[in-house]
Amino acid sequence: MVIIESFGLYRYFGKTTAVEDLTLAVEAGEVLGFLGPNGAGKTTTIRMLAGMIAPTKGYAIVAGHRTDRDVEQLHEVVGILTETPGFYSRLSAKRNLEYFASFYSSIESPSKQVEKYLKLIGLWERCNDRVGTFSKGMKHRLALVRALVHEPKVLFLDEPTAGLDPEAAAEVREMINRLGKEGHTIFLSTHNLNEAEMLCNRIAVIHTRLLALDTPENLRRRFFRRQLIVQLEVPDTQVVQTVRKLPFVQEVHEEGSQLILELTDSERNRPELVQAIVEAGGRVIAVSEKQYPLEEIYFRLLREESGNES
Amino acid sequence: MSRRHIQNVLLKEWALLFTDLNSVLIVTLLPLLIVGQGILYIWLALRFGGEVMLTTPVFQTALQKLIEAIPGLTQLPSEEQLLVLLLSQFNFFLLLIPTMVAISVATFSIVDEKLSGSLEALLATPVKTWELLLGKALAGAIPALVITWLSAGVFLLVISGLGWGDLSGFVVTAGWFLTLFLLTPAVAILSFMLGVTGSSRAKDARSAQNTAVIIILPVLALIGIQIAGILWFTPSLILVLALVIGIADFISLRVAVRLFQRESIVIQWR
Repeated sequence: MVIIESFGLYRYFGKTTAVEDLTLAVEAGEVLGFLGPNGAGKTTTIRMLAGMIAPTKGYAIVAGHRTDRDVEQLHEVVGILTETPGFYSRLSAKRNLEYFASFYSSIESPSKQVEKYLKLIGLWERCNDRVGTFSKGMKHRLALVRALVHEPKVLFLDEPTAGLDPEAAAEVREMINRLGKEGHTIFLSTHNLNEAEMLCNRIAVIHTRLLALDTPENLRRRFFRRQLIVQLEVPDTQVVQTVRKLPFVQEVHEEGSQLILELTDSERNRPELVQAIVEAGGRVIAVSEKQYPLEEIYFRLLREESGNES
Repeated sequence: MSRRHIQNVLLKEWALLFTDLNSVLIVTLLPLLIVGQGILYIWLALRFGGEVMLTTPVFQTALQKLIEAIPGLTQLPSEEQLLVLLLSQFNFFLLLIPTMVAISVATFSIVDEKLSGSLEALLATPVKTWELLLGKALAGAIPALVITWLSAGVFLLVISGLGWGDLSGFVVTAGWFLTLFLLTPAVAILSFMLGVTGSSRAKDARSAQNTAVIIILPVLALIGIQIAGILWFTPSLILVLALVIGIADFISLRVAVRLFQRESIVIQWR
């Protein structure tokens, strides 16, 4: 079931185009990574989808509500983690969360709901401490609870680990991972490509316009052919000559003691390949598929985009 | 839902107000200062300028208007008539309390939230703009109102202590009560609405305060009009004034909602 759907969304700020013709659909229970450089329109998109700003053109439907018309109903069913986790520093963590929770009609007892989530993120012991005494990481976790406390159908996270130290970022990431596994629909804007790969089912790359939207694996296939790496004990020219003659080998080149190959069918031809190498006197240490980091796909997409623009 | 939302905003604002020593001092000490200052001025005026003041045309006109409103005043000696005239300004003088507390407290209410980033998170909840603004205005206006009434009590105690208690029958009139219980609440809400509106449009607390200073001007004008003998505010006139300001309260809320641009706040403050 599609839970987020946008139809040709545009947003201008004066003469600047922040988002252009954004059409996408996100399934319920999916964790979508939203990638793009600074100023690519990630935050603007999140704000439009969360009903905080209106699109200049086009429209979106989130959890059954038009984001530009049914704003109050929409706010009942979406949660948003903003870039700055602003709190009332003189009030306790519990009081802060109860305040925000008490605006949702779905929450009968804000204090019970807050207790449940504070225990979940391990901050219950410090529930009566002033938020002003909390570390940045704790404030981010608290902000995540604020976005979650009314159990929204869709959770928008805008750079949830930006500016956090590695330990705090890992804590927040762990929490997002848990939420994703529990079946929450998460729209995650991030700069961190590893984070996106680790947490997301699909990746959208945006640079004002949507450049790509697919699973990390499909994005790799789109840009790179599958390559096999055979790690030999020592470089061996006879092995290379033998491998070149094999009918299913399309391309081969040597990199030290490694052979990098493209096969007709990477799965089925693999046993025959290994057998041929061994028969030619080669000693195989490992066979693996070449991994392309998401980063390479991302930069390639952005390069293509800037090439199109020029 | 609206009542619950307004109550939420109000209780949170109070929690913030009463955990900030500066705000507590402003709400408690400022009124005492205003009352003390007012009584001191009256005492100084009587002590050093009583005779001269009675011969001043402005005061003579004002006294004439007062005698028209309270004919029984003619039985008092002229010095006591002057004292009643000065003490009768005090109910309008008390209007300075909610306006000044509003300048000190309300002007920070939205700007502070913009600066801390909590406003963006708040605007992502189902709270309506008018609920937020009214909650904030009431959160300031109610304590300001209570403290104004307490100040009025302090004022009555002090004038008794100074030996002017016999005159309180001429000062504590229907007009006094109407001012205190109708006009003051209306002025308090208006002051806080204007303070909150200024705060929602301002880029920092300082500019919000600079704009909000104009709230005091109408109150000073009221005192000036009466003491200069231009007009004496009879109970019926005070009633009309309270109604007009009450209507202005509703209009100011509508204007505040229109001026509170959620989108601009979300876009410009991050």
